Amino acid sequence: MSTNWALKIESLGKIHGIPDLRSLEDTGPEKGTAKSALTGSIVAAWDVSFEVAPGEALGVIGESGSGKSTVMRCIAGDQGSTTGAVRLRTVHDGHMNVLDLDPSSRRHLRVADLSVVYQDPAEGLRLNVTAGGNIAEALTAAGWRHFGRIRDRAAELLDRTEVPLSRMDDLVGTFSGGMRQRVQLAKALANEPPVILLDEPTTGLDASIAAGVLDLIRNLLEETGVAAVVVSHDFAVIEMLTTRCVVMNHGRIVESGLTDRLLEDPHHPYSQKLVGAARA
Amino acid sequence: MNTPLLQEILGNASRTDTNLDGSSSFKAQTLNFGLLDEYSKREIRRAILTAVAVPGYQVPFGSREMPVARGWGSGGLQISLAIVGPDDVVKVIDQGDDEGVNAVNLRRLIVSSTGIPESTTPEDSTLIQTRHRIPEDPLDARHTLVLQVPVPEPLRGVERDMRELARMHAEADYARMWVSLYEDKVRNGVITRTTGYPCLVNSRYVIATTPIPRWDIPRLHQSEFLSLFGAGREKRIYAVPPHTDVEPLTFEDVPFEVEKTPGAKCRNCASNNTFLVEVLATDVRQSYWVCSDSDWCRRHRELSDSSSQGLMT
Amino acid sequence: MGYAAARGGLQAIEAAEKLVARERILGQSSWLDTDQIIEKLRLAVDRVMSEGGLWDEQLAASALRQAEGDPIEAAHLLRSYRSTLPRIAYSTPIDADDMVVLRRIVPAFRNPPGPQLLGRTTDYTGRLLHTEDDDTQRTNAEKMAAYIQENVTNFPDNDDDKNHDRSSRSPRRLLELLRDLDSVVDRRRSDDPEPFDITRHPARPPASRSARLATMARAETGALVNVWYRNILGPDGYLHEITLGEVRHGRLPVRMLHPLTGDEITVSFVRVTEVEAIEDLNGIDEDRGRFDVGYGLCFGHNEKKAIAMANLDIACERDQGRSFLEQSILLTTDGLDASGFLEHLKLPHYVTFRSMMERKVAIRQHQEASKNLESK
Repeated sequence: MSTNWALKIESLGKIHGIPDLRSLEDTGPEKGTAKSALTGSIVAAWDVSFEVAPGEALGVIGESGSGKSTVMRCIAGDQGSTTGAVRLRTVHDGHMNVLDLDPSSRRHLRVADLSVVYQDPAEGLRLNVTAGGNIAEALTAAGWRHFGRIRDRAAELLDRTEVPLSRMDDLVGTFSGGMRQRVQLAKALANEPPVILLDEPTTGLDASIAAGVLDLIRNLLEETGVAAVVVSHDFAVIEMLTTRCVVMNHGRIVESGLTDRLLEDPHHPYSQKLVGAARA
Repeated sequence: MNTPLLQEILGNASRTDTNLDGSSSFKAQTLNFGLLDEYSKREIRRAILTAVAVPGYQVPFGSREMPVARGWGSGGLQISLAIVGPDDVVKVIDQGDDEGVNAVNLRRLIVSSTGIPESTTPEDSTLIQTRHRIPEDPLDARHTLVLQVPVPEPLRGVERDMRELARMHAEADYARMWVSLYEDKVRNGVITRTTGYPCLVNSRYVIATTPIPRWDIPRLHQSEFLSLFGAGREKRIYAVPPHTDVEPLTFEDVPFEVEKTPGAKCRNCASNNTFLVEVLATDVRQSYWVCSDSDWCRRHRELSDSSSQGLMT
Repeated sequence: MGYAAARGGLQAIEAAEKLVARERILGQSSWLDTDQIIEKLRLAVDRVMSEGGLWDEQLAASALRQAEGDPIEAAHLLRSYRSTLPRIAYSTPIDADDMVVLRRIVPAFRNPPGPQLLGRTTDYTGRLLHTEDDDTQRTNAEKMAAYIQENVTNFPDNDDDKNHDRSSRSPRRLLELLRDLDSVVDRRRSDDPEPFDITRHPARPPASRSARLATMARAETGALVNVWYRNILGPDGYLHEITLGEVRHGRLPVRMLHPLTGDEITVSFVRVTEVEAIEDLNGIDEDRGRFDVGYGLCFGHNEKKAIAMANLDIACERDQGRSFLEQSILLTTDGLDASGFLEHLKLPHYVTFRSMMERKVAIRQHQEASKNLESK
């Protein structure tokens, strides 16, 4: 692996309940469960490692309960983790494990080092604020204090995410699902973060709307050179957006590799099942 | 009939009406200097010291119940009574007026429980307790300004959860405050914040400026005097020490505007560079403007009266 | 120029004070003794002591009289009086098991160990207003008093515990029995932290349980009842099963260490209402095989308040900070806070209003300017 990574995850682990390591013995893909009968704890994710280069998109695929969203939330800082390291190139040149940061510094990373696009736009946006205002929140957090320049930048971002400028001053709560997701993308990209996490960004949207949003995301990833982690249960999304991916099952990575190769020739039975389901 | 009862019926301006009333089974109360017991005063002074040391930070304190209702200056009164000394001269204003009913009541309490002299002129005063205004006269290092605060939390308009509010202040995370100003400007074309305009103190904490009008805000910036803010109901004290930056939150390209009505001037003293309030007449066309700082207005009227008399002789 | 006249504010205030005092003191009726208030308006006095946070029946009665019967105003008088007093000592922790009960009911069991003691209550009496004219009522009352004096030898004497054995006046509480049955979640802690003192520190969320309990013990009764009711039927509430384990009204000794000998001595007695509310646990993260218990205790005889308090205690525990319940309890139930802030709206606000008017003009000017721009 190259040393040219923007985001690096090392042996990330999250256990719900008592963090008793005996829980590892009777959980995982071979045991067919993430819940330990021994300890009663849930091993939501364990020994998860990967890195993402600038301009690269990495997919994390698995069914619900596989631990993929846990991984994303641990990286984002929305959830605490039990063990492991998360490194960002922009934080002490990657020498710092951001999991060791105090909560305040951790939250501050979300201003310009790391953005998240959630499945539910309500998590990433304020619905009672205008589209422009939502972007202004990201910009003012990064120190922007010039009204005119904030307006220009917000307009530019909305234009780029294909939100009609006539709707810039409308409350996001009045927007359709697809439109909200475009605003969320605009907000996430406002401060040009080097890393972006996308959690099921098109799940829940109508197929035709989803296709448009996916197109947009692919273009944005290409244009911006951002390092992206795309979490999805849907191989079609992973295929369209990513070049490499990892497959998660019962909290562990069971297979990883180039997305094309994995789709062509999945090795692990669980990957085969997923691919089979996607092709059916 | 015993004396306290008689006093209560006949009235006595110099007496504090804080004692419970009159059946003879009670001993007459002997009140401490400044009403509060010394332990309480010490605790409040400690909170004040913290507030001065960390400008703009809202220091929690064990606010006492005062002989005035919460929301009626109980926070300001606690500060005044905790810091007042026998050499102080007190001025109390409400809306800029020394004769406002609540100003009168608070001044009576301070004066009667301490025996210190009172004044209406800032020049003669050392301790100025105020609701909603800063006197027009320049204040200096001799003065301590005590402001009564109804709602000390400047961010409550954008966040209701107190746990989240504490976090926002701790991390100086004021983005949502800026968003609210952005939205205001987008929606209305102007910033519509009126009194209590949010200000950044010492480049660190955002405070609610009581509700003093925007007119008074520039007076807090790099002032010569100490400003102490007391919120009794919400149990918070904060401070703007002398020579401290106080910047109203506003965009670089949207100038901060104070209250101004073109052509308005005080009917009594003819001033047009003081904070004016409108006196409504039944026929609104007959309405006129007067200074809200009644003492300033009185002195300037006398000044202009005597100078015009000088001209005549 | 109204109530903020350029001069004369002081005279106006004094005239208002005189008017209040004259009507209250020099009215046609006879002087109202505090003893009379304590005896005949007992629940009002109890409420004032509880909301005022001060146990003194004489002072509370006096405050009620001075406040013309307004309990919040009376509580204010008590509390501001308290602010003038130095705190010179602390009592030792009170053990609620030392209570001598004057009333005790256990709705959760038909025959609990210990008595179901109804005591002084109108709970089971028809609410029929006495509509006879006052002279008749007085005559009837005097007749009844005379009759009782002559004929009734075993009139229930609530406050006399000499004739009762200790177990019936200090029964084991139901909670202990449920613990023996291993039927309640045990949240007792062994580290014994100092209780939060709400008179010295502002209680703000997230707060300790002792801070919540102290806040509710001093809360305004109506406010607390409303928060409880809202928690059940309000837009964010839900109906949950609560069974009262204990409702007690009784006397508790207050003890402190003698400053010279160091011995524990009883310095006073207070009457309190104590409630334990048993809550059914049904949450996914809860021990559904057991119950949990909320606790309420306040000065005086005030069952509404103690029951609301016990219910909200357990509701808050189960809520785990997920909703605004704790913030509502800590910040909106104090009678002085709420009514003081409400009433402050009567103060002059013409400086703020002038500032608002000025912005209204600014908004309209902007609207007109942009309209003109469009029409050009």
